[in-house]
Amino acid sequence: MLHDLMLSRYFDERMDALYRQGRLPGAIYSGRGQEGTHVGAASSLEPDDALLTTHRDLTAQLTKGLDLKRVMAQYWGRIDGYTRGRDGNSHIGDWAGSRTFAVVSMLPDAYPVAAGVALAFKRQGQPHVSMAICGDGSTSNGRWHESLNVSAIHDLPVVWVVNNNLYAYSTPNPLEFKIPTIAERSSAYGMPGVRVDGADVLKVFIAARGAVDRARNGDGPTLIESVSLRWKGHAGHDPATYVDKALLEEYMTNRDPVKRFQDLLLAENVVSQDDVAVLEQEIEREFQEGFDFAQASPFPVPDDVDKGLFTDDGYWTSEPSREGGTG
Amino acid sequence: MTTSITMPQLGETVLEGTIIRWLKQVGDTVAADEPLFEISTDKVDTEIPSPAAGTLSAILVPEGETVSVGTELATIDDGARGAGDTASDAGATSDAGTTAAVTTTPPGADGSKPPTTDGTGTTRSAGTAPRRVPVSTPARGGPRSSILSPIVRKMAAEHGVNLGKVTGSGAGGRITKGDIEAYLASEPPAATAPKLRVVSPADGAREEIVPVSHIRKRIAEHMHESVQTSARAWSMVDVDLENVALLREREKQAFRDREGAALTYMPFVARAVCEALLEYPQVNAELRGDDLVLHRYVNLGIAVAYAEGLIVPVIADADSMNLVGLARAIGDIASRARAKQLSPDEVHGATFTITNPGPFGSIMSVPIINQPNTAILSLDAVEKRPVVVDDAIAIRHRVYLSMSWDHRVIDGALASRFLARVKASLETWDFAEDLGR
Amino acid sequence: MAKAAVDAGAAGHGAEPRGKRTPQGEATYLVAIAEGLWEEMERDPSVYCLGEDIGVYGGAFKVTEGFIERFGSERIMDTPICEETIMGMSVGSAMAGMRPVAEVQYADFIANGFDELINVAGKYHYRTGVPLPMVVRGPSGGGVRASNFHSQNPEPWFAHSPGFKVMCPAFPSDAKGLLKSAIRDDNPCIFFEHKWIYRRIKEAVPDDPDFLVPIGKAKVRREGTDCTIISYGAMVHLALEAAEDLAADGISAEVVDLRTVTPLDAETVMTSVAKTSRALIVYESHRFLGIGAEVAAQIAEDAFEHLDAPVMRLAPPNVPVPFSPPLEDAFLPQVPDIAAAARSLVGW
Repeated sequence: MLHDLMLSRYFDERMDALYRQGRLPGAIYSGRGQEGTHVGAASSLEPDDALLTTHRDLTAQLTKGLDLKRVMAQYWGRIDGYTRGRDGNSHIGDWAGSRTFAVVSMLPDAYPVAAGVALAFKRQGQPHVSMAICGDGSTSNGRWHESLNVSAIHDLPVVWVVNNNLYAYSTPNPLEFKIPTIAERSSAYGMPGVRVDGADVLKVFIAARGAVDRARNGDGPTLIESVSLRWKGHAGHDPATYVDKALLEEYMTNRDPVKRFQDLLLAENVVSQDDVAVLEQEIEREFQEGFDFAQASPFPVPDDVDKGLFTDDGYWTSEPSREGGTG
Repeated sequence: MTTSITMPQLGETVLEGTIIRWLKQVGDTVAADEPLFEISTDKVDTEIPSPAAGTLSAILVPEGETVSVGTELATIDDGARGAGDTASDAGATSDAGTTAAVTTTPPGADGSKPPTTDGTGTTRSAGTAPRRVPVSTPARGGPRSSILSPIVRKMAAEHGVNLGKVTGSGAGGRITKGDIEAYLASEPPAATAPKLRVVSPADGAREEIVPVSHIRKRIAEHMHESVQTSARAWSMVDVDLENVALLREREKQAFRDREGAALTYMPFVARAVCEALLEYPQVNAELRGDDLVLHRYVNLGIAVAYAEGLIVPVIADADSMNLVGLARAIGDIASRARAKQLSPDEVHGATFTITNPGPFGSIMSVPIINQPNTAILSLDAVEKRPVVVDDAIAIRHRVYLSMSWDHRVIDGALASRFLARVKASLETWDFAEDLGR
Repeated sequence: MAKAAVDAGAAGHGAEPRGKRTPQGEATYLVAIAEGLWEEMERDPSVYCLGEDIGVYGGAFKVTEGFIERFGSERIMDTPICEETIMGMSVGSAMAGMRPVAEVQYADFIANGFDELINVAGKYHYRTGVPLPMVVRGPSGGGVRASNFHSQNPEPWFAHSPGFKVMCPAFPSDAKGLLKSAIRDDNPCIFFEHKWIYRRIKEAVPDDPDFLVPIGKAKVRREGTDCTIISYGAMVHLALEAAEDLAADGISAEVVDLRTVTPLDAETVMTSVAKTSRALIVYESHRFLGIGAEVAAQIAEDAFEHLDAPVMRLAPPNVPVPFSPPLEDAFLPQVPDIAAAARSLVGW
């Protein structure tokens, strides 16, 4: 868990730097400051459980088991990325392996899909759970309501996680909804609702694990609101000047989920400073390996641009053409 | 001011013409009415005089190319400034009013020129235009006859169809795919224009490669077409011209003095033929689809050999002429034919044709019918031959009159009766009356 | 598990819908669709239906009437009014191994689920290689005085946006065979059932439970030589009627029924146009950028040298489907319109 938190933070910072240096094409969507929500929620899932997220939640997908090398190949548009270059950045998923949904920009498009996955698990008698993560912004959208409503009606094995990072792009919570918390909406759908501090990964984990167990036991869905602050802008281009400086200072100083968990483990003597240093080195090495792998991976072959739309041409069930060379 | 030279309408049924030769080159000075170019149509070759004086500024249709009537062929610039020249004279003020009566063309503005081909079927297109389907030019059959759809172009190119021969049944006279199909079905072999086989040059010392002239090609086309069309049969009579020969011998000097021309056997035969045709209109007929058109008049075609080939000028209403009139008419058209001075309508509309290889020594011929006639008569050499007359051997002026005739229209009995009638006329008539004696 | 009102083994495939055939054994378009759906549900337990009022009520047009008794409420799943979630759940359950057949009550309402289809379903396999075996059914089309919101032809939306196979059958057998093919296909299929045809057109349909009509194959419904009328859906029937009228005038019209609008069977279209050299496309989606616009463009590109006249289109103007009968009749191509267009094409 500490590894995942530290890796997430390091990855986020390094990618941000690369982006600003012009060495990373496309876009980045920072999840910094929200690692507690991502790692805590995703850690509660079993390998066969499904995770459906937004583009802000790459950390959750990494926790669920994505290969960092293929993630980075995706960022650089390479053939070894999870989408073979058909999509970029954190619009990623690994259904066959990690059971994660390939992120769709429109939000919360993953919510109805998560309901469908849960429906299939239930109908097929499989003991799996579906978890969807969205932000506070998504909760204003009709699909969010539709999904929670249907999941409750049919007692679907799904966990609805809202990563409330206080801003929908630039719009703050008070302009998104009138009620004080998102969690209290759960009663309107006939399901339990929980609000947790996203800075505390263990609290998130405990809440999520409870909801996952409940779902697995056939007791239906749960709504979890995990509160944090998005430290960075909506995307790499956004300086987020609309965020109150004092609020940001408070979150970065006192409510840093990575530092808080690390401090806890150190205080409880679960890990030593040396262990942390070793871990840091390991993460740097992981990142560098991923970076090197991505740079060495070829670009997709232009001739393949119109392949794989349907299953019929077999593009996705055969090895990709690799004569694209490296960029 | 620029004058546009277009392909003239050479008779009301002629739809296209081929540029045989430009007599002037670009940059040459041309006087009004000075011969500018030679053209060839279905049946006539002629010189075209320039309609304006000036400098030949552009030739738009090269030699050998066939274009429809009205196609712009060239431009003549008279050096005066007109509306069309303003593009090259930025300071000039266009004054359309002064040039309103003249067809003017801006330099190079020939975008409306229909696609054309040369004789080899190779497309001639200006500049670096992309590959175009080579097709011939359609007849001017209606306001939309020049619209060629892609399939029509393709089929015309593939089958070598001369679109000038296809009648458009579509709206506004447009040639449709169905028209091409019908055309191909109606004339299977003729559709692919008869081609003289080109032998690759082998032995330069023993063979010479000569390009086939336009008129030769047209003759080839017409002759081949005729053979493909008609069911040709052949009959011949042996005619005693002793009386005609005696009369001719007696009158020829006076005739030459009076008419300035020789009195040949031709008008005698023509006179007899005209009479017989009125009596046997089936021989003077045209098969037109399911109908037989019987002509109650005789437009007599006379085949005339000239340097480049053969032409058939027509004596209209020959049945209304006496011997002298026929002699004059025959002399007139023959001399003008050889001088290429026939008007286009003078080579069109024969109802019966006489060919005359006699002067070249032939005594017996099997001619090809001049379509759409039913028959053609050959007048071969008149010779003195020993014959039996009243059980005695006599020396008489005799001639074989042979006739090719279309068995689709008439049968042998009628052909023979017709020839017998001609024979009887020539042997018994007193032609002296016709000569005013 | 659901209780089975009819024993499948005893009653055989498609027992209930087949009971709705005419005394002569013919199935209407609607019954044929029900037969296809029923047979596939019997064949494959992963096939299930979801939609609004499809259970006890049997669907707004009664396609799934009697299904809930046979297959139970889990496989005939009534949903709230939530088209986005119907589509999203179809995606999710398809990802997780099921074969959903979603019904939108009228094709018009597919717009409410548009985002999940366009942005999730249509792009998903291209992005990830994960198959999405899902079908969305919807009654489309006008001519039934149902006006703006119950008469649309949304097929161009999904033909234009990548990732969908879009079917618009005109005949009962095709509807049955295509629906069965769509359910067995591993890709998102949009199946538009023309409601004007539902109870109007009937014919004998195959009983073979594996009778399939291939997706992406057009069919020459009537042979002809003078022009090709290309159409699909209800317009095929009007085109056939017009062809009959034209025959009386000596005009031989070939009628091509596209059946699937995407993937488009260009080969059948081009073969016919190469034969007749004249193409008239009659379609019910709006004229501007409708299905016929694409067909026309492909003919212009690929059959240009075969054309003896410009490609013609006959389609509704780009206005909503109006209600008042004179207006709707003016909006939709009618048999005399088709015949007149064909005449002018042949006479061009």
